[in-house]
Amino acid sequence: MSERYPGYDVLAKRDSQSWNAQTRAVIDERLALDPEAHRFFNDVEWVTLLAVCARIVPQPAERARPVPIAGLIDAKLFEKRGDGYRDARLPPAPAAWRRALEALDAESQAGYGVRFHELQPLNQDDLLRAMQEGKTHHPAWGDMPAKVFFTKRLLHDIVTAYYSHPTAWNEIGFGGPAAPRGYVRMDFDRRDPWEAAEVHPGHEAEARRDNARVG
Amino acid sequence: MKGRREAQQLNLSSALLALSVLADSAVEHYRGSFHNRAMYTPLAVAGLTLGASVLGTADRRPRSHGVRDSIYALAAVTGAAGLLYHGYNITKRPGGLSWLNLFYAAPVGAPAALLLAGLLGKGAERVRLPSSARRAAGRALATVSAVGIVGTVLETALLHFRGAYHNPAMVLPVSVPPVAATLLGAAACAPGRRVGRFARWWLKATALLGFAGVGFHAYGVSRNMGGWRNWSQNVLNGPPLPAPPSYTGLALAGLAALGMMERETGAEPMWGRSQCDARAH
Amino acid sequence: MKQKPVVTMPALDDAFGSPRALRGRAPDVFRAGGWVPMREYSADETVDFVIVGTGAGGGTLACKLAEYGFSVVALDAGPYWRPLEDFASDELHQSKLYWTDERIVDGENPLQLGSNNSGKSVGGSTVHFAMVSLRFRPEWFKARTLLGYGVDWPLDWREMWQYYRQVEQALKISGPLNYPWGPPRPRYPYRPHELNAAALVLAKGAEALGIAWTPTPLATISAPRGLAHPCVYRGMCVIGCATNAKQSVLVTWLPRALAAGAEIRDLAMVSRVEHDTAGLATGVHYFRQGRQHFQRARHVVVAGYSIETPRLLLNSASSRFPHGLANSSGLVGKNLMVQANQAVWGLMRQEIRSYKGPPSLAITEHWNYTDEGKDFFGGYSYMSQGPLPIVWAGTQASKRGLWGWRLLDQMEQYNHQVGLKIVGECLPQERNQVTLADERDPYGLPIPRVTYSYCDNDQRLIRHSLGFMRQALEVVGATEIWDETDDTCHLNGTARMGSTPESSVVNADCRSWDVRNLWICDGSVFPTVGGVNPSLTIQAIACRTADRIKALAARGEL
Repeated sequence: MSERYPGYDVLAKRDSQSWNAQTRAVIDERLALDPEAHRFFNDVEWVTLLAVCARIVPQPAERARPVPIAGLIDAKLFEKRGDGYRDARLPPAPAAWRRALEALDAESQAGYGVRFHELQPLNQDDLLRAMQEGKTHHPAWGDMPAKVFFTKRLLHDIVTAYYSHPTAWNEIGFGGPAAPRGYVRMDFDRRDPWEAAEVHPGHEAEARRDNARVG
Repeated sequence: MKGRREAQQLNLSSALLALSVLADSAVEHYRGSFHNRAMYTPLAVAGLTLGASVLGTADRRPRSHGVRDSIYALAAVTGAAGLLYHGYNITKRPGGLSWLNLFYAAPVGAPAALLLAGLLGKGAERVRLPSSARRAAGRALATVSAVGIVGTVLETALLHFRGAYHNPAMVLPVSVPPVAATLLGAAACAPGRRVGRFARWWLKATALLGFAGVGFHAYGVSRNMGGWRNWSQNVLNGPPLPAPPSYTGLALAGLAALGMMERETGAEPMWGRSQCDARAH
Repeated sequence: MKQKPVVTMPALDDAFGSPRALRGRAPDVFRAGGWVPMREYSADETVDFVIVGTGAGGGTLACKLAEYGFSVVALDAGPYWRPLEDFASDELHQSKLYWTDERIVDGENPLQLGSNNSGKSVGGSTVHFAMVSLRFRPEWFKARTLLGYGVDWPLDWREMWQYYRQVEQALKISGPLNYPWGPPRPRYPYRPHELNAAALVLAKGAEALGIAWTPTPLATISAPRGLAHPCVYRGMCVIGCATNAKQSVLVTWLPRALAAGAEIRDLAMVSRVEHDTAGLATGVHYFRQGRQHFQRARHVVVAGYSIETPRLLLNSASSRFPHGLANSSGLVGKNLMVQANQAVWGLMRQEIRSYKGPPSLAITEHWNYTDEGKDFFGGYSYMSQGPLPIVWAGTQASKRGLWGWRLLDQMEQYNHQVGLKIVGECLPQERNQVTLADERDPYGLPIPRVTYSYCDNDQRLIRHSLGFMRQALEVVGATEIWDETDDTCHLNGTARMGSTPESSVVNADCRSWDVRNLWICDGSVFPTVGGVNPSLTIQAIACRTADRIKALAARGEL
C-alpha cells in the first residue's frame, strides 16, 4: 500500500493554531502509552490479542510510530471506560473479551493444534472470518454468539483504538485536531495549506513538498 | 494648473481603488486557491494600475500619458471581464442565482472596483487636456463616482446582511454613502452651491468611513475564534480588510468632480442644457 | 523529530472530580476561567420547581420558569463544561460528553446508545448534537386524523408555530432565506452557512432528480453573537464545540436561567422522586459529592430524555404506586421510538474532505411533505454527512463488515467518500420499551434495558429511502455505492402526551395525569416522531409548558 499523503504528519501542527492546550495534553498522553504494558489482560490473553489486532488492522513493520492497538484496548478495559450500552447477548466487555480470546485459542488448538498467535496469517484470517460468519463451534464460547462479539465488540474496539491515533490520521489524510483554527476552503478539490496533500500520479514530489509545509 | 490638481486627485482615487483591488483579490483568490489561472490577472492589472496611478499623482504635466492611459483601459476591461467571471461562478453552482451563492460564491460586484479604477484613471488623463473637454468630464466623473458608490453600497449591504448586521456599526456604510451618492448625482444634474456643499460634507464622511471601515474589519477579525493569532483563517474568513478603502477612492473622485463642476460655472448661474435637462425634455 | 516539551495539564479544576456549580457561582462558559453568580437554595428550602435534567427540555424550562419568577433548582447527572477550555479535538477523549454508564439493548434491532444519542452533560444531549433545527410538518400534529397513521398530538400546529419562532430567535438559528416546504415561517435570525463539498453533492443530486433542497437550518452561528464566536468549520460538532458557535442549551438557555435566579447543580444523580401519602410529589433524592441529598419542591419536572425519564419513574415505584410513578396507563417506558438513520455511501473522483464544517450542511425534506409515491406512512428527510475517523471506521468495519487490508484500502479513500443519511419516522409500538434490568449501577440503581424492533412500515420506509438516496448519488457520478442499513438516531415516546389518562402519561401541558405536581419535559413526551430531528420541537414544547404553567399559576390551578 503506497502512501497517499506522503510526508504528512498531524503532529507537525501541534504548536500551531490547529491544536489547543487540552488537545496537546490528551494526545501527548495517548502517544506516551507503553505498547507493551498490559494491566487488564494476562500474558496468555495478551499474545492472542496482539495477533488478532495485527490481522484486523495490519500495520507495516517499519512504521515510525506504530499504533499500540492492544495497549489502547487494555487501557480502556482496565480503566473501566464503557460505551454506554451492550448487546444483551454479550456479557460486559471485560468478561466478553476474556472469553473470546480464550475461545479463539481453543478453536485454534482444536483445528490446527497450535494457539492462535502461532498460526499462519491465512489461517488466522480463516478463524476470524469464521467468527464473523457465526461458524465457530467450540464450547468455550458458551452462550456468547461469536458473530455478535466479532461485530459489536471486537471490530468496534479495535478500529476505535486504531483511528484514535495520529498515525492512522496521517494514513487517511484526516485534518486532525482543529481548534481554534478550523478550515477555510470547503469546496470540491480544495485544501487549506494545513491539510494533507494527496498524491497524484506522477506528482509525488509536489505532494511531499506541500505536506512538508503543513504546520 | 487646476486641471492638473484634479487630475492628480483622480489618479489618487484610482490608486486607492487599485490598491483595494490588489489586496482584496490577492486574499480572495488565494482563498480560491487560484484554481483558474485567470485569477492571477486582476492582481497583475491592479498592480500596474496602482503603479500608473502613483506615478500619475506625481505627474504635473498638462497632458495625458499614453502608457497610463492604456493601463487604465486595461483595468476597465479586466474589471468588466471579472464581473462576467464572477457572475458565471455564482450561477454555475447548485441553486444558481440564489442568496446562498450571492453570499458565498465569488463576490458579485468586487471586480467593478477595478473597472472604476480604470474609468476614473481615464478621467484623470482626460482632465489634463484643454478645458473644453473638462465640463463634460466633470459631470461624467460625478456620475461614475455616484454610481460606483451605490454599487459598493449594494455589495456592502449584501455582505453585512450575510453577517446579520450583528453589530450596529454595520449600518454606517449602507446609510452614509448613499446620501453622498445621491447628493453627488444631484449636483451633477442640477448644480448649485448648497447642493455642492452638502455633497462635499457627505463625501468627506464617506471617505473617512472608508478608513474607519478597515478598523472595524480589523476588530471583526479579532472577534472571530482565535482572533489575530488565527490570522491564517480569520483574515480569509473574516470581514475583508482591503475592501472599505474603495469608498475613500470613490469619494475622493466625487470631490474632484465637484471641484471641476463648480469651477466651470464660476459666478454664472446659467448652465446651458445639462444631461439631466436633456432627458427631462 | 523535535523533542517533546514537558506537558502540564491546563490548570483547571477537573469537571468530573467535583461539582463546579457550587458556593454561589457557576462557570461562565464565555470566559476562560470565569464565573457567574448563581443563586443557591438551602437544603431545607422548598422550591417551586425541581427539574431533573438540563437538556433541550429541562434546560429550556428552567430558563423560562426562572424568568417568570418561579424558584427553580435544576439537577444534572453530568458535568458543567467550559467548552472553550475543556474540549479537545479528539473523538476518543470527548466520549466524556456521553452517557457511558452501562445499559442493555435487545430486541430484533438492538439500538446503539452512548455517543449515538445519549449525552451526559449540563446542557444534555445538545452539547453533542448536530444542531439540525427543523420544525415539524404541521400535519404531523394530527397524524392519525390527517395522514392516517400513528396518533394525534393534543397540540395545535399553529400554536407550535409561534413557539418554534421563539426558540429559533433564542438560538439565533442560521438558516436559509426561503424554506422550500411548509407554511410560511419568519426569517431565520442568522444567515445560512456555506456548503461544503459533501453538501454540494446532496444539492446536485437533488437538482438532478428534480426535488428541492436547502441549506440546513443549524443551531450554530454564522456571525458573532455576544461573546460567542462564529463557526470555524472544524467539523467536530458532535464531539463538542470548542468555539461556542454551537448554540447548545449550555450557552443559550442556561446562562439566562442563571441570570434569572435559577440554581443548577452539576454531578447530581437523581435516584428517586419522592411522594407523600396524598400521592403528590414532594421532591427528589439525589447523589452529589458522595452523599445523598433531598431537594424539596412544590413541583417536580422529570427531563432526563427518553431512557432516564422512564427509568427514574419506574425506579420511583412505591407501595402506593407499585408500577412506577405516573404510570396508571402502564405506558411509562413504552412506545419507545427512534428515527431511522440509514445511509447510502459512495466515492467521488473529486476530493470531498467531508470532515470540514458541520456534518449536515444541506438537507431535503421532499419525502416529508410528499404523500404520493410512498408505500409507507410517515416521512423522512435526508442530509449530507461528514463522519470523523473513528465513526467512519466503525461504519466500514461493524456495519459493512470490512477488516484487514480491505478495511485499510477503504479507509484510505476517506477524503473521497460522500454520503446521504436519513432521519426517518418510525412508528410507535408498545413492544418497544425501556424497562428495568436486574443489573445495578454504581449507585445501586437498576439499569435500563432498551428493547427495540422495527415494524413493517419502518422497513418499507427504510427501503424506499435507500433506493432514492442511491439514485441521488448515482446521478452525480458516485461509485462503489453501498447501503448502511443498521443505524438509528434520537429517542422519543416513553412518556407520551395525549388527551386521556388511559392512552397517555401526560397531558398537552406535559403534566402527568396521575400526579398533578409531576411534569415531564423532554423528548419522551412525543406521541409520534416525524421525519425531522426532535431538538427544536422539544425546546418549543418546553416554552409552551412554561407559558401554561404561568397561566395555570395565575388562575390558582397549579
